[in-house]
Amino acid sequence: MMGFEKNTNVISAVTQELKIPQMPVPEVTSYSCDVLVVGCGWAGLNAAYGAKKEGADVLVVDKGTPGYSGLSSFSSSHQWYDKEMGDDLQACLDEMVMANEYLANLNWYKTWAAHSKETYQRLMDWGLLTQYPTGKESGHWVDGDWRHDDLTGYHEEFLYADRRNRWAEVLRENEIPYVAQTMIYDVIEENGRVVGAVGFHVPTATVIRFQAKAVVLCMGGGSIKSVGFPTSCDTFDSDWIGFRHGLPIVGKEFDDFHFSASFAPGNVLTCNSWTYLENIWLTGGDIAQETLLGRAQGEAQNLILPRLESVTKGLPEYHRTDIQPSSGRGKSRSGIYEDPRKGKWTSDLPKGDTYGCAVGMQLHLGCGIFCGIDDVEGKTGLEGLWVAGDGCNGSCVSGGSYLAATGFTSNFCSTQGYIAGEAAGKFIQNTEISGISEEVWETYRKEILKPMEKQKGFDPSWACDQLHAIMAPAWVTIVKTEESLTHTLGLVRQFKRDVLPLLKADNAHELRLCHEVEHKTLCAEMKLRASLERKESRGYHYRADYPYRNDEYLCYLTITKDGDDMRFDRIDLKEEWKGDTGMPYEQRYRTFRFPGERQALNLPDDPSIPSGGWGPTQAFVIREDAGKEKEA
Amino acid sequence: MSVIRTDLSKCIGCQRCYKICPMDVFRFDYARQKSVIAYPENCQSCGQCYLNCPAHSLGFTDASYQHSINAGR
Repeated sequence: MMGFEKNTNVISAVTQELKIPQMPVPEVTSYSCDVLVVGCGWAGLNAAYGAKKEGADVLVVDKGTPGYSGLSSFSSSHQWYDKEMGDDLQACLDEMVMANEYLANLNWYKTWAAHSKETYQRLMDWGLLTQYPTGKESGHWVDGDWRHDDLTGYHEEFLYADRRNRWAEVLRENEIPYVAQTMIYDVIEENGRVVGAVGFHVPTATVIRFQAKAVVLCMGGGSIKSVGFPTSCDTFDSDWIGFRHGLPIVGKEFDDFHFSASFAPGNVLTCNSWTYLENIWLTGGDIAQETLLGRAQGEAQNLILPRLESVTKGLPEYHRTDIQPSSGRGKSRSGIYEDPRKGKWTSDLPKGDTYGCAVGMQLHLGCGIFCGIDDVEGKTGLEGLWVAGDGCNGSCVSGGSYLAATGFTSNFCSTQGYIAGEAAGKFIQNTEISGISEEVWETYRKEILKPMEKQKGFDPSWACDQLHAIMAPAWVTIVKTEESLTHTLGLVRQFKRDVLPLLKADNAHELRLCHEVEHKTLCAEMKLRASLERKESRGYHYRADYPYRNDEYLCYLTITKDGDDMRFDRIDLKEEWKGDTGMPYEQRYRTFRFPGERQALNLPDDPSIPSGGWGPTQAFVIREDAGKEKEA
Repeated sequence: MSVIRTDLSKCIGCQRCYKICPMDVFRFDYARQKSVIAYPENCQSCGQCYLNCPAHSLGFTDASYQHSINAGR
């Protein structure tokens, strides 16, 4: 009989986790500064720098750690306007107007164009845009499948150029302190002015106080989905704060467009490994008058129409080896040899064929706190409060489509952050710090910690899943109808009434989740109501029962707190932004046709215009009176 | 839910995973100088901890990926 001999040469791996320990509470729980910058992605880093340059005493607070939290750590390209390289500003403006469905805020675009090259140079100097060999060039790429490619080997070889490491270093080099792993719960308002903020250290649920002369919110956006796309850590905190303080929220009806790969759609690293690991690609310089329409049509064909088709027709059989070939390193897009803007060309990756990993996430730069049609600073209607960056400042600079804008967000957020920080830095020079009473702090402390004091209640992760299940279906956020939106709004309101008041945190980790679920719920309601309000289709907002553009909705829709309800306002656009409204419909809207648009309006079949098909479900049956309101 | 432990004995106690996880998945045991995967249910599969673990104590899997919620398959 064979016996087992102990093999002393093999030491088995320890895969058992230790018990969850109690974390030590922070030593400092009260701060005072001139300018408090909340969130430290592209916008926050530049806002802090802009305020510091004005001589302000700046403090940064981040829910995670600067460089790794939020969406900024996942940026993959960077665009700027470069007059010296022959960029045509008028062509860029014309492209923004037409490609973005006549909703682009040109005041912000012009402001960006004036500052964007300076922003690029600043970020390059900081080491955030360092260029290094690709995965394929380095030999670490095998076949585009993350299980075979040597991702960690590549990361270690080029660690010297890792931009995420640089974020905290840049703060340090500019003598800007930061408080990490701290969620800001709310800003504190006194007599119509923001005088500070209050939050809590996430690992220990310790309440932290911040007194400040001015606050710049750079908190990003969020997604309804609990996992699977790197937005969950942001989760609509700034929308909740803005709404609570009576500020208008804009752009909720326009949805995010990002694709994922169908074999592992909820897995960020699997689908975006090389995009994450390689350098940020430099883009821009490729907009010219003679190619405007074709360019916009191409982007619509790649981004807008496939998402509508994939959710109504389903997907073909998948293959784990569906790898998207890289387009290869191009020459400079402007045609000038010295121009470093070579475009995006990440090493081959799984093919992006699936929409829907970031449900409820806002369209880039099109949603957030609205600062007014003339604002180019990020100054909110509340004195002492500025907002900047994606998902936080609803500037609508790229309208309802975000076409013609690869690499635009990382530069725009940095530029907008710098401008907002600089303005806050100037503001504090004639402002005194305001004392906040112990009574106010205590009221906030109780409010923040309330979910931890409940004896019975609902688990926030369970609640998040329920909200996700309500909001995720394609008929709620992608192919919308009056019926689906109204029905879903009823469910969200029931959730708000029956679940939110009973959210219970068993530990510090769950406290953050409790507050985030509440913020998501508010945004879910705003998203549904804004989608109901805009009875047309435009850009990334598709109503199957109104499958066409209607220029009566050539406006921004804002939502403002009105007692226990929400008020909608229509914000008129500048005439220059609207394009030629007298032009016949079929000429004015030539970038693409929504599914059902041609049939509903009896438009001629024009094969030169990309158009979307649809699946056989009832949602896509054209209403008998479709288009009639346009004739009226 | 994608982060996994390949070998806790390799953990050198650098705290990088604890600090950079945007989803508050990790805790750190100061007495034993080891990180703890405390709340893996909230992992968003970004892979930052895995890529930045200098000792390769952490691993990554796509075995628990979700179906695409809007693709209808």
